[in-house]
Amino acid sequence: MASVSLRRLTLICLRVSNLTFGGGDPTMAALQSELVTRHGWLPPDKYVLVYALARITPGTNILAFCAGAAWQLKGWPGAILAVLAATVPSAIAVVLLTAGYESLQHNAKALAAIAGTLAAAVGMMALSAWQLLRPHMHRRRALRALLLAATSALLSYRFRVSPIVVLGLAALAGFFWRAPEPA
Amino acid sequence: MNALLLYLLLLKATGTSFSGLTSLPVVRHDLVERYHVLTDRQLNAAVAAGRTAPGPNGLYVVSVGYFVAGVPGACAGCLAAMTPAFIIIVLLRYLGRRAERPRVKSAIQSVTLAAAGLVISATIPLARDAITGPLPMAIAIASFLFLAFTRYATVWVILGAALAGLAASY
Repeated sequence: MASVSLRRLTLICLRVSNLTFGGGDPTMAALQSELVTRHGWLPPDKYVLVYALARITPGTNILAFCAGAAWQLKGWPGAILAVLAATVPSAIAVVLLTAGYESLQHNAKALAAIAGTLAAAVGMMALSAWQLLRPHMHRRRALRALLLAATSALLSYRFRVSPIVVLGLAALAGFFWRAPEPA
Repeated sequence: MNALLLYLLLLKATGTSFSGLTSLPVVRHDLVERYHVLTDRQLNAAVAAGRTAPGPNGLYVVSVGYFVAGVPGACAGCLAAMTPAFIIIVLLRYLGRRAERPRVKSAIQSVTLAAAGLVISATIPLARDAITGPLPMAIAIASFLFLAFTRYATVWVILGAALAGLAASY
Protein backbone atom coordinates (compact mmCIF):
# COMPACT_ATOMS: atom_id res chain seq x y z
CA MET A 1 0.00 0.00 0.00
CA ALA A 2 1.35 3.46 -0.93
CA SER A 3 2.26 5.79 1.96
CA VAL A 4 -0.71 7.86 3.04
CA SER A 5 -0.46 11.55 3.91
CA LEU A 6 -3.01 12.73 6.51
CA ARG A 7 -3.06 16.18 4.95
CA ARG A 8 -3.69 14.88 1.43
CA LEU A 9 -6.32 12.41 2.65
CA THR A 10 -8.17 15.25 4.42
CA LEU A 11 -7.92 17.50 1.37
CA ILE A 12 -9.32 14.75 -0.88
CA CYS A 13 -12.33 14.30 1.46
CA LEU A 14 -12.76 18.09 1.58
CA ARG A 15 -12.66 18.50 -2.19
CA VAL A 16 -14.69 15.45 -3.24
CA SER A 17 -17.42 15.69 -0.57
CA ASN A 18 -18.03 19.41 -0.87
CA LEU A 19 -17.79 19.83 -4.63
CA THR A 20 -19.68 16.76 -5.86
CA PHE A 21 -23.39 17.20 -6.45
CA GLY A 22 -25.81 14.29 -6.71
CA GLY A 23 -25.66 12.63 -3.29
CA GLY A 24 -23.79 9.67 -1.84
CA ASP A 25 -23.20 7.34 -4.78
CA PRO A 26 -21.46 9.82 -7.14
CA THR A 27 -19.36 11.04 -4.19
CA MET A 28 -18.33 7.53 -3.14
CA ALA A 29 -17.48 6.76 -6.78
CA ALA A 30 -15.27 9.87 -6.89
CA LEU A 31 -13.57 8.84 -3.62
CA GLN A 32 -13.03 5.31 -4.99
CA SER A 33 -11.31 6.80 -7.99
CA GLU A 34 -9.04 8.93 -5.74
CA LEU A 35 -8.27 6.48 -2.91
CA VAL A 36 -8.22 3.16 -4.78
CA THR A 37 -7.34 3.87 -8.39
CA ARG A 38 -5.30 7.07 -8.38
CA HIS A 39 -3.36 6.88 -5.11
CA GLY A 40 -3.58 3.13 -4.42
CA TRP A 41 -4.00 3.79 -0.69
CA LEU A 42 -7.06 1.61 -0.14
CA PRO A 43 -7.01 -1.99 -1.50
CA PRO A 44 -10.18 -2.82 -3.52
CA ASP A 45 -11.38 -5.43 -0.98
CA LYS A 46 -11.17 -2.89 1.87
CA TYR A 47 -12.99 -0.33 -0.28
CA VAL A 48 -15.81 -2.81 -0.86
CA LEU A 49 -16.05 -3.58 2.88
CA VAL A 50 -16.11 0.14 3.84
CA TYR A 51 -18.65 0.85 1.06
CA ALA A 52 -20.94 -1.98 2.26
CA LEU A 53 -20.71 -0.97 5.92
CA ALA A 54 -21.27 2.73 5.05
CA ARG A 55 -24.60 1.70 3.48
CA ILE A 56 -25.75 0.13 6.74
CA THR A 57 -24.34 2.77 9.10
CA PRO A 58 -27.04 5.13 10.41
CA GLY A 59 -26.92 8.74 9.25
CA THR A 60 -25.40 10.10 6.07
CA ASN A 61 -23.73 7.31 4.07
CA ILE A 62 -21.00 9.46 2.57
CA LEU A 63 -19.87 10.73 5.98
CA ALA A 64 -19.72 7.15 7.26
CA PHE A 65 -17.71 6.20 4.17
CA CYS A 66 -15.21 9.04 4.78
CA ALA A 67 -14.92 8.05 8.46
CA GLY A 68 -14.44 4.36 7.65
CA ALA A 69 -11.97 4.82 4.77
CA ALA A 70 -9.91 7.41 6.67
CA TRP A 71 -9.91 5.24 9.83
CA GLN A 72 -8.54 2.32 7.80
CA LEU A 73 -5.73 4.55 6.52
CA LYS A 74 -4.92 6.92 9.39
CA GLY A 75 -6.83 5.79 12.49
CA TRP A 76 -9.00 8.10 14.60
CA PRO A 77 -7.21 11.38 13.63
CA GLY A 78 -7.82 10.54 9.97
CA ALA A 79 -11.49 9.67 10.59
CA ILE A 80 -12.21 12.84 12.59
CA LEU A 81 -10.46 15.14 10.11
CA ALA A 82 -12.13 13.43 7.14
CA VAL A 83 -15.63 13.83 8.59
CA LEU A 84 -14.96 17.48 9.56
CA ALA A 85 -13.56 18.20 6.09
CA ALA A 86 -16.53 16.52 4.40
CA THR A 87 -19.10 18.34 6.52
CA VAL A 88 -18.09 21.81 7.70
CA PRO A 89 -17.76 23.73 4.37
CA SER A 90 -21.13 22.44 3.11
CA ALA A 91 -22.72 23.12 6.52
CA ILE A 92 -21.54 26.75 6.30
CA ALA A 93 -23.10 27.01 2.82
CA VAL A 94 -26.37 25.60 4.24
CA VAL A 95 -26.36 28.19 7.07
CA LEU A 96 -25.75 31.05 4.60
CA LEU A 97 -28.62 29.84 2.39
CA THR A 98 -30.92 29.56 5.41
CA ALA A 99 -29.94 33.02 6.68
CA GLY A 100 -30.64 34.36 3.18
CA TYR A 101 -34.07 32.74 3.27
CA GLU A 102 -34.86 34.34 6.64
CA SER A 103 -33.67 37.80 5.60
CA LEU A 104 -35.84 37.73 2.45
CA GLN A 105 -39.05 36.87 4.32
CA HIS A 106 -40.47 40.41 3.95
CA ASN A 107 -39.71 40.93 0.27
CA ALA A 108 -42.72 40.05 -1.91
CA LYS A 109 -40.67 39.10 -5.00
CA ALA A 110 -38.28 37.01 -2.92
CA LEU A 111 -41.22 35.28 -1.25
CA ALA A 112 -42.61 34.34 -4.67
CA ALA A 113 -39.24 32.83 -5.60
CA ILE A 114 -39.04 31.02 -2.24
CA ALA A 115 -42.56 29.62 -2.76
CA GLY A 116 -41.26 28.09 -6.00
CA THR A 117 -38.32 26.47 -4.19
CA LEU A 118 -40.62 25.11 -1.43
CA ALA A 119 -42.80 23.44 -4.09
CA ALA A 120 -39.64 21.97 -5.64
CA ALA A 121 -38.63 20.63 -2.20
CA VAL A 122 -41.91 18.69 -2.03
CA GLY A 123 -41.04 17.07 -5.37
CA MET A 124 -37.60 16.22 -3.99
CA MET A 125 -39.05 14.56 -0.89
CA ALA A 126 -41.40 12.47 -3.02
CA LEU A 127 -38.38 11.52 -5.14
CA SER A 128 -36.43 10.58 -2.02
CA ALA A 129 -39.20 8.13 -1.03
CA TRP A 130 -39.28 6.70 -4.57
CA GLN A 131 -35.48 6.30 -4.66
CA LEU A 132 -35.64 4.29 -1.43
CA LEU A 133 -38.34 2.04 -2.89
CA ARG A 134 -37.08 1.67 -6.45
CA PRO A 135 -34.26 -0.88 -5.84
CA HIS A 136 -36.85 -3.22 -4.30
CA MET A 137 -39.40 -2.97 -7.11
CA HIS A 138 -38.48 -6.34 -8.66
CA ARG A 139 -41.31 -8.73 -9.41
CA ARG A 140 -40.72 -11.07 -6.45
CA ARG A 141 -39.81 -8.36 -3.92
CA ALA A 142 -42.17 -5.54 -4.84
CA LEU A 143 -45.15 -6.76 -2.80
CA ARG A 144 -43.11 -7.03 0.41
CA ALA A 145 -41.50 -3.63 -0.21
CA LEU A 146 -44.82 -1.89 -0.91
CA LEU A 147 -46.46 -3.57 2.08
CA LEU A 148 -43.70 -2.43 4.46
CA ALA A 149 -43.67 1.14 3.10
CA ALA A 150 -47.47 1.50 2.99
CA THR A 151 -47.92 0.06 6.50
CA SER A 152 -45.29 2.46 7.84
CA ALA A 153 -46.91 5.46 6.12
CA LEU A 154 -50.32 4.43 7.47
CA LEU A 155 -49.07 3.86 11.03
CA SER A 156 -47.37 7.25 11.05
CA TYR A 157 -49.92 9.40 9.21
CA ARG A 158 -53.23 7.84 10.21
CA PHE A 159 -52.47 6.38 13.65
CA ARG A 160 -49.76 8.90 14.71
CA VAL A 161 -47.35 6.12 15.76
CA SER A 162 -43.89 7.56 16.55
CA PRO A 163 -41.39 7.15 13.66
CA ILE A 164 -38.91 5.46 16.01
CA VAL A 165 -41.51 2.80 16.93
CA VAL A 166 -42.35 2.30 13.24
CA LEU A 167 -38.66 1.84 12.37
CA GLY A 168 -38.22 -0.61 15.28
CA LEU A 169 -41.20 -2.66 14.13
CA ALA A 170 -39.82 -2.66 10.57
CA ALA A 171 -36.43 -3.92 11.78
CA LEU A 172 -38.15 -6.72 13.68
CA ALA A 173 -40.30 -7.61 10.66
CA GLY A 174 -37.23 -7.62 8.40
CA PHE A 175 -35.25 -9.83 10.78
CA PHE A 176 -37.89 -12.56 10.64
CA TRP A 177 -39.36 -11.96 7.15
CA ARG A 178 -36.61 -11.90 4.54
CA ALA A 179 -37.20 -10.75 0.96
CA PRO A 180 -37.23 -13.57 -1.61
CA GLU A 181 -34.03 -13.86 -3.65
CA PRO A 182 -34.30 -12.28 -7.14
CA ALA A 183 -35.17 -14.87 -9.82
CA MET B 1 -34.78 25.28 22.97
CA ASN B 2 -31.20 24.86 24.16
CA ALA B 3 -28.54 23.54 21.80
CA LEU B 4 -27.88 20.35 23.79
CA LEU B 5 -31.51 19.21 23.70
CA LEU B 6 -31.68 20.17 20.02
CA TYR B 7 -28.50 18.12 19.35
CA LEU B 8 -29.97 15.08 21.13
CA LEU B 9 -33.28 15.34 19.24
CA LEU B 10 -31.52 15.74 15.88
CA LEU B 11 -29.12 12.91 16.78
CA LYS B 12 -32.15 10.71 17.48
CA ALA B 13 -33.30 11.50 13.93
CA THR B 14 -29.96 11.06 12.16
CA GLY B 15 -28.99 8.02 14.23
CA THR B 16 -32.13 6.15 13.21
CA SER B 17 -32.01 6.97 9.50
CA PHE B 18 -30.12 5.27 6.71
CA SER B 19 -29.80 7.90 3.96
CA GLY B 20 -30.71 11.36 2.70
CA LEU B 21 -34.05 12.59 3.96
CA THR B 22 -35.06 9.49 5.93
CA SER B 23 -34.40 11.39 9.17
CA LEU B 24 -37.09 13.92 8.20
CA PRO B 25 -40.11 12.14 9.77
CA VAL B 26 -38.42 12.00 13.18
CA VAL B 27 -37.31 15.65 12.89
CA ARG B 28 -40.87 16.69 12.01
CA HIS B 29 -42.39 14.56 14.77
CA ASP B 30 -40.16 16.05 17.47
CA LEU B 31 -39.64 19.68 16.40
CA VAL B 32 -42.87 20.49 14.56
CA GLU B 33 -45.47 18.35 16.34
CA ARG B 34 -44.04 17.78 19.82
CA TYR B 35 -42.02 20.88 20.74
CA HIS B 36 -43.53 23.37 18.23
CA VAL B 37 -40.17 25.09 17.67
CA LEU B 38 -40.21 24.64 13.87
CA THR B 39 -42.95 25.17 11.27
CA ASP B 40 -43.69 22.96 8.27
CA ARG B 41 -42.69 25.89 6.05
CA GLN B 42 -39.30 26.16 7.75
CA LEU B 43 -38.76 22.41 7.49
CA ASN B 44 -39.55 22.60 3.79
CA ALA B 45 -37.14 25.53 3.40
CA ALA B 46 -34.47 23.54 5.28
CA VAL B 47 -34.83 20.69 2.77
CA ALA B 48 -34.46 23.18 -0.10
CA ALA B 49 -31.37 24.77 1.53
CA GLY B 50 -29.82 21.35 2.20
CA ARG B 51 -30.36 20.25 -1.38
CA THR B 52 -29.14 23.53 -2.89
CA ALA B 53 -25.77 23.46 -1.17
CA PRO B 54 -23.16 21.02 -2.47
CA GLY B 55 -22.17 18.12 -0.24
CA PRO B 56 -24.17 15.53 1.67
CA ASN B 57 -27.98 15.82 1.40
CA GLY B 58 -28.38 14.96 5.09
CA LEU B 59 -27.04 18.41 6.00
CA TYR B 60 -30.55 19.86 5.89
CA VAL B 61 -30.45 19.25 9.68
CA VAL B 62 -27.94 22.12 9.89
CA SER B 63 -30.60 24.41 8.43
CA VAL B 64 -33.20 22.95 10.82
CA GLY B 65 -30.85 23.71 13.74
CA TYR B 66 -30.34 27.27 12.48
CA PHE B 67 -34.09 27.87 12.24
CA VAL B 68 -34.62 26.60 15.80
CA ALA B 69 -31.67 28.16 17.65
CA GLY B 70 -29.52 30.30 15.33
CA VAL B 71 -25.80 29.58 14.95
CA PRO B 72 -25.56 27.37 18.10
CA GLY B 73 -28.48 25.38 16.66
CA ALA B 74 -26.69 25.05 13.31
CA CYS B 75 -23.62 23.72 15.17
CA ALA B 76 -25.88 21.23 17.00
CA GLY B 77 -27.31 20.16 13.63
CA CYS B 78 -23.84 19.80 12.13
CA LEU B 79 -22.68 17.65 15.08
CA ALA B 80 -25.84 15.54 14.86
CA ALA B 81 -25.12 14.92 11.17
CA MET B 82 -21.51 13.94 11.87
CA THR B 83 -21.86 11.80 15.00
CA PRO B 84 -23.48 8.63 13.53
CA ALA B 85 -20.73 8.44 10.86
CA PHE B 86 -18.30 7.15 13.50
CA ILE B 87 -20.47 4.08 14.15
CA ILE B 88 -18.82 2.60 11.03
CA ILE B 89 -15.55 2.35 12.96
CA VAL B 90 -17.24 0.14 15.57
CA LEU B 91 -18.72 -1.92 12.71
CA LEU B 92 -15.31 -2.24 11.00
CA ARG B 93 -13.61 -3.18 14.24
CA TYR B 94 -16.04 -5.64 15.75
CA LEU B 95 -18.44 -6.77 13.04
CA GLY B 96 -16.50 -6.70 9.78
CA ARG B 97 -18.13 -8.99 7.27
CA ARG B 98 -20.57 -10.40 9.84
CA ALA B 99 -22.69 -7.29 9.20
CA GLU B 100 -23.37 -8.80 5.78
CA ARG B 101 -25.40 -11.64 7.36
CA PRO B 102 -28.73 -12.07 5.58
CA ARG B 103 -30.95 -11.45 8.63
CA VAL B 104 -29.08 -8.26 9.60
CA LYS B 105 -29.18 -7.02 5.99
CA SER B 106 -32.88 -7.86 5.77
CA ALA B 107 -33.63 -5.91 8.98
CA ILE B 108 -31.77 -2.85 7.68
CA GLN B 109 -33.44 -3.14 4.28
CA SER B 110 -36.84 -3.22 5.99
CA VAL B 111 -35.97 -0.12 8.02
CA THR B 112 -35.11 1.66 4.75
CA LEU B 113 -38.45 0.60 3.21
CA ALA B 114 -40.31 1.78 6.31
CA ALA B 115 -38.40 5.06 6.06
CA ALA B 116 -39.75 5.49 2.51
CA GLY B 117 -43.27 5.20 3.95
CA LEU B 118 -42.40 7.65 6.73
CA VAL B 119 -40.98 10.15 4.22
CA ILE B 120 -44.29 9.96 2.30
CA SER B 121 -46.18 10.49 5.56
CA ALA B 122 -44.03 13.52 6.44
CA THR B 123 -44.30 14.97 2.93
CA ILE B 124 -48.12 15.22 3.04
CA PRO B 125 -48.32 18.11 5.58
CA LEU B 126 -45.38 19.87 3.93
CA ALA B 127 -47.13 19.56 0.56
CA ARG B 128 -50.32 21.04 2.05
CA ASP B 129 -48.29 24.08 3.08
CA ALA B 130 -46.32 24.50 -0.17
CA ILE B 131 -48.75 23.33 -2.89
CA THR B 132 -51.24 26.19 -2.90
CA GLY B 133 -52.28 26.18 -6.57
CA PRO B 134 -51.62 24.79 -10.04
CA LEU B 135 -48.18 26.43 -10.44
CA PRO B 136 -46.62 25.00 -7.23
CA MET B 137 -48.15 21.62 -8.18
CA ALA B 138 -46.53 21.84 -11.63
CA ILE B 139 -43.19 22.85 -10.06
CA ALA B 140 -43.31 19.91 -7.61
CA ILE B 141 -44.09 17.40 -10.39
CA ALA B 142 -41.49 18.90 -12.75
CA SER B 143 -38.83 18.79 -9.99
CA PHE B 144 -39.59 15.13 -9.32
CA LEU B 145 -39.40 14.20 -13.01
CA PHE B 146 -36.35 16.35 -13.77
CA LEU B 147 -34.30 14.87 -10.92
CA ALA B 148 -35.57 11.33 -11.54
CA PHE B 149 -34.76 11.27 -15.25
CA THR B 150 -31.79 13.59 -15.76
CA ARG B 151 -28.35 13.87 -14.20
CA TYR B 152 -28.44 17.64 -13.63
CA ALA B 153 -27.54 18.90 -10.14
CA THR B 154 -30.32 19.76 -7.69
CA VAL B 155 -29.18 23.37 -7.59
CA TRP B 156 -30.50 23.90 -11.15
CA VAL B 157 -33.92 22.59 -10.15
CA ILE B 158 -34.03 24.96 -7.17
CA LEU B 159 -32.98 27.90 -9.35
CA GLY B 160 -35.54 26.99 -12.03
CA ALA B 161 -38.28 26.69 -9.40
CA ALA B 162 -37.34 30.07 -7.90
CA LEU B 163 -37.42 31.71 -11.36
CA ALA B 164 -40.81 30.12 -12.13
CA GLY B 165 -42.20 31.42 -8.81
CA LEU B 166 -40.76 34.87 -9.50
CA ALA B 167 -42.08 34.99 -13.07
CA ALA B 168 -45.56 34.05 -11.86
CA SER B 169 -45.56 37.01 -9.46
CA TYR B 170 -45.37 39.59 -12.29
